[in-house]
Amino acid sequence: MSTTPSILLVGLGGAGCGMVSRIAPHLPSVVRVALIDTDASILNTTEGQEAFQIGRALTRGMGTAGELAVGQAAVEAEEPALRRLFNGYSLVVLVTGLGGGMGSGGAAPLASIALDAGATVLSFATIPFSHEGERRKRQATEALEKLATKSHGLVVVENDLLALQVEADASLSAAFSAADEWIAGSLRALASVFTPGALVPVDPAALKTILEKPGSPTLFSYGVGEGSGAALIAAKAACDSSLAHGPGAITKVGSLFVQVTGGLNMSATDAFEAVSIIRKKFGGEKTTLLGACVNPEMGDRVEVAVLGASLPVPKPAAKTKKGAKGAEANQPMFVFATEESIRRGVFGNTPLTFRDGEDVDVPTYIRRSVRLTPAS
Amino acid sequence: MNKKPLPSFITVIDIGTHKTTALTAQVIDGRARMLGFSERRTDGVVKGTVIDVEKLHASVHEVVNDLERVSQRAVEQVYISIAGPSVEGERVKGICIVPAHDGRITKLDYQQAIDSAKRLEPPAGRITLLHMRQPSILDNKPVGNPVGQQGRRLEVSFWRITMEEGNVRFRVSMANGMSITVRDFILASHAAACAVTNDSEKQGGVCVIDIGAGTTDWVLYFKGHILCSGSIAVGGEHITNDLSIALRISRETAEDLKHRFASAMHRDQDVNQTIWKDGDKSVGDQQFNRGTITQVSSLRYQEILSFVRKDIIVQLEQIFSGHEVKLDQNFLPSGVILTGGSANLADAAEAAQNIFGVTARVGIPKFDNSSLQKSEYAGVVGMMIAALEDAPPLVRRQKGFMDILRDLFRF
Repeated sequence: MSTTPSILLVGLGGAGCGMVSRIAPHLPSVVRVALIDTDASILNTTEGQEAFQIGRALTRGMGTAGELAVGQAAVEAEEPALRRLFNGYSLVVLVTGLGGGMGSGGAAPLASIALDAGATVLSFATIPFSHEGERRKRQATEALEKLATKSHGLVVVENDLLALQVEADASLSAAFSAADEWIAGSLRALASVFTPGALVPVDPAALKTILEKPGSPTLFSYGVGEGSGAALIAAKAACDSSLAHGPGAITKVGSLFVQVTGGLNMSATDAFEAVSIIRKKFGGEKTTLLGACVNPEMGDRVEVAVLGASLPVPKPAAKTKKGAKGAEANQPMFVFATEESIRRGVFGNTPLTFRDGEDVDVPTYIRRSVRLTPAS
Repeated sequence: MNKKPLPSFITVIDIGTHKTTALTAQVIDGRARMLGFSERRTDGVVKGTVIDVEKLHASVHEVVNDLERVSQRAVEQVYISIAGPSVEGERVKGICIVPAHDGRITKLDYQQAIDSAKRLEPPAGRITLLHMRQPSILDNKPVGNPVGQQGRRLEVSFWRITMEEGNVRFRVSMANGMSITVRDFILASHAAACAVTNDSEKQGGVCVIDIGAGTTDWVLYFKGHILCSGSIAVGGEHITNDLSIALRISRETAEDLKHRFASAMHRDQDVNQTIWKDGDKSVGDQQFNRGTITQVSSLRYQEILSFVRKDIIVQLEQIFSGHEVKLDQNFLPSGVILTGGSANLADAAEAAQNIFGVTARVGIPKFDNSSLQKSEYAGVVGMMIAALEDAPPLVRRQKGFMDILRDLFRF
């Protein structure tokens, strides 16, 4: 049995590196971590991890300043070195924050290098907050389309949706750390099952049976439960997670991979019951792969991670931007504000009005998580 | 019941979150003839709660000054409305075991029951403002006037309105500061109901919901009496706020768009309908998707109504504990009547109909002066009607209100 790492976790760009370096200490040893960026100052702050500075000739150790072309060129220039990095890994997890130059420009080329190296590529990409501006949003959307074709699985984490998950009175930093925690938890849960010695171990290569082809719509969800019936609570949380219900998310999949991690007390029946809840919700008629792992540190906590893919659906005809109608569709008028004061508006400094544990001064559509989307 | 002698002039002041209105009328043959009306934006009140005393004081002062100028009469006595979250209602009961051998109830027995109900102390820090008569129960059967009837156990109940001491004190001292005495307080939702319903509707059963800018006050009538009332610190201002957050526009623009395009129902045809902020294609004009506006406004509006429904059901469960009461057309034959400024929102009645499952309409106050026949003036017009009646279901206290205050302030 080889104990060399079989999973490579790559953080790309400022946001990706930040996220990966924060979650790296909590990952099992089976995961090797690499950080890739052009900005030396970002790589310097992340101690103890393998860092790859790329595009030295292009940016002289600075950031990409939001330029897509720079990010793309930086990755392409270092292709041989990166190919060596990916060699021998059956699963490459790419974490990046889209919207800037490095993430948006470099993610797709990087994923394609990993694909060429024969790895299964699973990408986590965050979409910037709506109020970060139209340009970043557009760059992110375009990059997402490219990245989807180069990854076996693409998990899109909308910052807007994450902001909705945190408490109404939470700060902006809490919203961001919630994003970190969510991704870290998911990765930890995914990685633990590939650890030799797991209760029901899964070969990383087996993920290929779930994520068959690059570009298929990916379902990903994650839930945590605690106390008695923790596995069931976690399964339900994973079913109800708003990240599995975002716009464009799929609810039924053909192939499903369910991973349950729990403490020493977790029984097999618990794990199987959790799986049956997940299957009832998301399908998985074609293949269902179950992984289970016991981690004494978990105590009475149980984590459930769900990964699934349906077959690629034919893309709807590309939207043509014609005349006024196209302009309307792209209007940036739908906002998810996050900060307390923004959410409460003119009631910002008035006493809170609580009903059923909710601050009713916050707009109803935010509390109900109703996404206001322009009809296409 | 000894009626107060009616003054020949009545002045009412309705202090709302958005605007303060005042009306003076002369009473001729039991009818009110309007002498003057004034209206001002209220400052210093948010969600029905006073946050800036000085500002509120100034705006009420202006309203009274305006009123005196228009009506050419000095205001001496006023009725002031009470509404908002600091007003609470609860049921109080008084019991009298009939002493007579034949079980016939005398006036004294009846009075005894009423006294025992009214003797109940309000919770600490609150002042009892009104006792509103509910049907008397004689041997578990509701009766109209129990005097002269036969029975063993007479139960009299009232819907008692209490308010935080500080709030009452503040209102009275505000009036006194203008050399005006407060004649009485009127429950705003009851006033609005007086303006938009008639006695037969109250007799059958009707729920009046006054959706103002900052608060939503409701009152439910059953068999001609107030069964319960309540208030929620959510109102039309919240719809404006939601719109300004969702569309990233100023409060004023949001208010304007709300009046022109918002709706209590979100319909498919609204989606993709583009609307212009100003419509004159000038520089700085913005276009919006109407679907977004109706989505935001309908969610909030329907939520407000469902909060009211929930509160009503909670109250009904307390009052009719042990019996199952359904909030349906049988219980409320006259359905739901919406009044207040936010009742003007498009499709408001339809939304109420969907949520309550009973017929619903927007109530327009009945008043001689046509300029006040708008739902936002239901409060002030209704106060005038209630002041004119100054009779049941508002039951006068034995001790006048000023006596209570005199005790309170020792003057």
